[in-house]
Amino acid sequence: MIRIALGFLLFVTHFCDAQFGSPVAFSDSQEKTVLETSPEFFILDWKPNTALHISETPLEIITDSVGAQKVNLFRDNTEAPILYSSNIITPVCADGDCKFMHITLYWTLLGDYAGFDRSVKEPLTKHDHDEFLFSDYWKLHDLLKDDNSILKRRAIDELVTKPKPSKIEGVDALSGATVKEVKESVVSGALYSCYVAWHLVHGKIKEQLKAYTVEQLNEEMLVRMLNSEHTNYQMYALENLDQNQYKVNFSRVSELFKSGIPLVRSFIIKNLANSFSQSPTTMQPFWDALPYIDINTRSLLLQHVDFASDATVTHISTQLSVLTRNQLLKYLEHLGSKKVISTEVLKNLEQFAASNKEKNAYLVTEFLEDNS
Amino acid sequence: MKNLLTVLILFIASLNAVAQDILLEAESFDNPGGWVVDPQFVEQMGSPYLNAHGMGKPVKNASTAVEFKKSGTYHIWVRTMNWVPGEWEAPGRFQLKVGETVLDTVLGTRSGWGWQYAGEAKINKKQATHIELQDLTGFNGRCDAIYFSTKKDTPPSSTKKLAAWRQEITAQPNAPEEVKSYDLVVVGGGLAGCAAAIAGAEQGLKVALIHDRPVLGGNASEEIRVHTLGIYGNFERILKKIDTEHYPNGSADAKLDQEKRDKNVKSYDNIDLFLNWRAYDALSEENSVKYVDARQTFTGERKRFTAPYFVDSTGDGWIGFWAGAEFSYGRESVDTYGEHWEEHGELWSPKEADNAVMGSSVLWGSKDTDSPQSFPEVPWAMPVSKDYSEVNGEWQWEFSRNDLSQIDDAEEIRDHMLRAIYGSFSSAKKDEVNENRKLEWVSYLVGKRESRRLVGDHIFTFNNAKEGTEFPDGVVIETRAVDVHYQTVLEDENNPDFISEALFYRGPQYYIPYRSLYSKNIKNLFMAGRNFSCSHAGLGGPRVMLTTGQMGAAVGYAASLCKKYEVMPREIYTGYLQEYLDLIEEQKYEKIPTSKK
Repeated sequence: MIRIALGFLLFVTHFCDAQFGSPVAFSDSQEKTVLETSPEFFILDWKPNTALHISETPLEIITDSVGAQKVNLFRDNTEAPILYSSNIITPVCADGDCKFMHITLYWTLLGDYAGFDRSVKEPLTKHDHDEFLFSDYWKLHDLLKDDNSILKRRAIDELVTKPKPSKIEGVDALSGATVKEVKESVVSGALYSCYVAWHLVHGKIKEQLKAYTVEQLNEEMLVRMLNSEHTNYQMYALENLDQNQYKVNFSRVSELFKSGIPLVRSFIIKNLANSFSQSPTTMQPFWDALPYIDINTRSLLLQHVDFASDATVTHISTQLSVLTRNQLLKYLEHLGSKKVISTEVLKNLEQFAASNKEKNAYLVTEFLEDNS
Repeated sequence: MKNLLTVLILFIASLNAVAQDILLEAESFDNPGGWVVDPQFVEQMGSPYLNAHGMGKPVKNASTAVEFKKSGTYHIWVRTMNWVPGEWEAPGRFQLKVGETVLDTVLGTRSGWGWQYAGEAKINKKQATHIELQDLTGFNGRCDAIYFSTKKDTPPSSTKKLAAWRQEITAQPNAPEEVKSYDLVVVGGGLAGCAAAIAGAEQGLKVALIHDRPVLGGNASEEIRVHTLGIYGNFERILKKIDTEHYPNGSADAKLDQEKRDKNVKSYDNIDLFLNWRAYDALSEENSVKYVDARQTFTGERKRFTAPYFVDSTGDGWIGFWAGAEFSYGRESVDTYGEHWEEHGELWSPKEADNAVMGSSVLWGSKDTDSPQSFPEVPWAMPVSKDYSEVNGEWQWEFSRNDLSQIDDAEEIRDHMLRAIYGSFSSAKKDEVNENRKLEWVSYLVGKRESRRLVGDHIFTFNNAKEGTEFPDGVVIETRAVDVHYQTVLEDENNPDFISEALFYRGPQYYIPYRSLYSKNIKNLFMAGRNFSCSHAGLGGPRVMLTTGQMGAAVGYAASLCKKYEVMPREIYTGYLQEYLDLIEEQKYEKIPTSKK
């Protein structure tokens, strides 16, 4: 709820800026050797009182006409690497009209897009030379966050081609998914700038950054990633922690099982599949999360129902509403395999079967008929 | 008037009296009116059914007439379901009219398929009784069958018991009485099946093409309207006969090439086309398919098809499944075939295998009109669509979940998509900019991407595509990027669960070997279409229709050589490969054969 409230506040702030433009742009980061505030557009957590100082890397980005531009690494006061950054100047050309784009880009330690700072002196402009509004920068930020954007798989000339109009039946709104998808993704009038920026962020440099990080990787960095709110960090840590490190960090792992995105949850449960039979008690936090997790993960969890404690099996009988049809069938199959079904479970089943608001009540009715 | 095939009457002797029971299959109504015959889920529920697909406007009544052998008061049950049970009125409500009387009971209100008691009616045997289904909503009310009985014994609802009961009450023989023999039996009339039939026929084979819809083309047909992708490869001449130019997905232009496709396939004298026939069984002996049984989707008439060679182009791999062919479903673990792709990691190929597959789409479209258009409230749709608002669908409208089989749960998947569509359009209609917008077309057919994959001598993988492996028997050629979909809700739970995203891998030209087009363990079974032999990630590129069409043509030619030398598909690779490759090369330039009208 707090997150939603903060999000709303941020939205209102940005909405106001979008309408009127930000009165004061952030200062150029080209001279920044210390970061004491988060980049203006940023996806990672930024803890209060953070101060990052710059250090050099051997990495470079080559851009047309301008040549090599350095990629730096920002570290915290313990020298732990936190963020990559590069001040980019690159030409953007459309219809023979070329301009320079000035932007400071940031990447995570895994080479993912982390954010950007705009330039006060050289704001980004659109095709008609209008300067970007704040809302345009925000849209660019959204675009850069999408590592699977349509810009990735289309050449620039394919993005401006309109599809053939429909010949019959007048279904006029099927106006070419490609063009529509592009239109929704990019800043209006700034397709070329968006295209260039996206390919700078998601180009070859991504792999180089990740490789550079991996060279320096240690357990402390992995644990820091595990504790991050950034999904790719979580996933990388989960993929690279060994069994012992899983045990040491189990509290955070089980917390992520509840709070992470479905992809993270499913990875965790598949990775810990053996633990359900080997140490059922340890896995209790997983069963406690059953009503709160997404459907796909819940299905993976229910694959282990045969190893759940009697108390958990009974508890699930009070949560039948959250189960899909096939999940309910899986649960009933488990009950059907038991010699005795407890009175409490039976009572809960009967109550569920009697409800006229439960769409799957009929399945329980049939089960009770077959097992009475 | 119903004939004996569609209305089955049984006299049941009891201790005290003779009761009369009549089972009326809804799909066999004389006049379906505005209801559509929906045969997609026969394997799960035992029969096609009538579906009131009116997109929010009640459809015209379905009607028929039944002759009863005995006058009296009959109890009446209707096999139906409420497809969205919940705290609202059932979306698909309808009533039954018997003779001149409309029975009070509102039907389509029970959870899960089963018998709903409709009431009783007096029947006079002297004249045929008029029966009507009266749709009340236009939102996919469904009627599978109507059961009349002078006794008040509710028929069984559970799938297992129902099948036995149906068998008993209809007194159907174990085997279809009519047996038809061919050189090649092709099951499934999508682009792959059509191409297989044409290629086989051009080489002089007598071919049966069995398809469960009234029109050919499967996902490319005017009924589903997915645009074709891929290249023609070695089979441009054939594929142009059945391809379509429509774009994008859902475009009504799909209708333009429908007639061409159907006409071209029908023009071959030696293709016997069985439209509206759905295969329901196959038997293998000594690892060879002996026959395929199929049923007419309206009348219930049955036929048995025998041949030395069969092509499974059903998409779901049904023939292989029934015949005992090895198959796979879901995503393999990343280590199974080494299909890791760093950039997308777990999303691309999981550490542990699972049941996740690409989902199915239901396409739809709307249009702007000159006058205000109303659309009903759809409270039952909103839990799925929430506040999502759109006026047309595209390929991203796709649904899968790891607890849902794209085969066994296809009806639930289709229904979920209908809720997404109706709810989303309803949300869009609340915006006054859409006041004149009318829901023009919604498919009721599931356009599937992935389900069973039959296992061949070679399993085509992502690495074969990525590396452009040049097989000696690489008969299918493709340049299209490998493109695997996932549900965006996996990354962000705030996304609608019915929207997907694509992961594209752009690699070199790649080849699919002939060895991926016949079964590893069923000796005389070819496969063409998305059920060819591949891994989950391997399917990503060649699943599109021109590529699968190439597969069809390739197996059609292989079958002709099989017949020529009286050998099995595997032996074409081991003993006749050069002749096979030469035949494929020659056919590119072949003139219209004499077998064609």
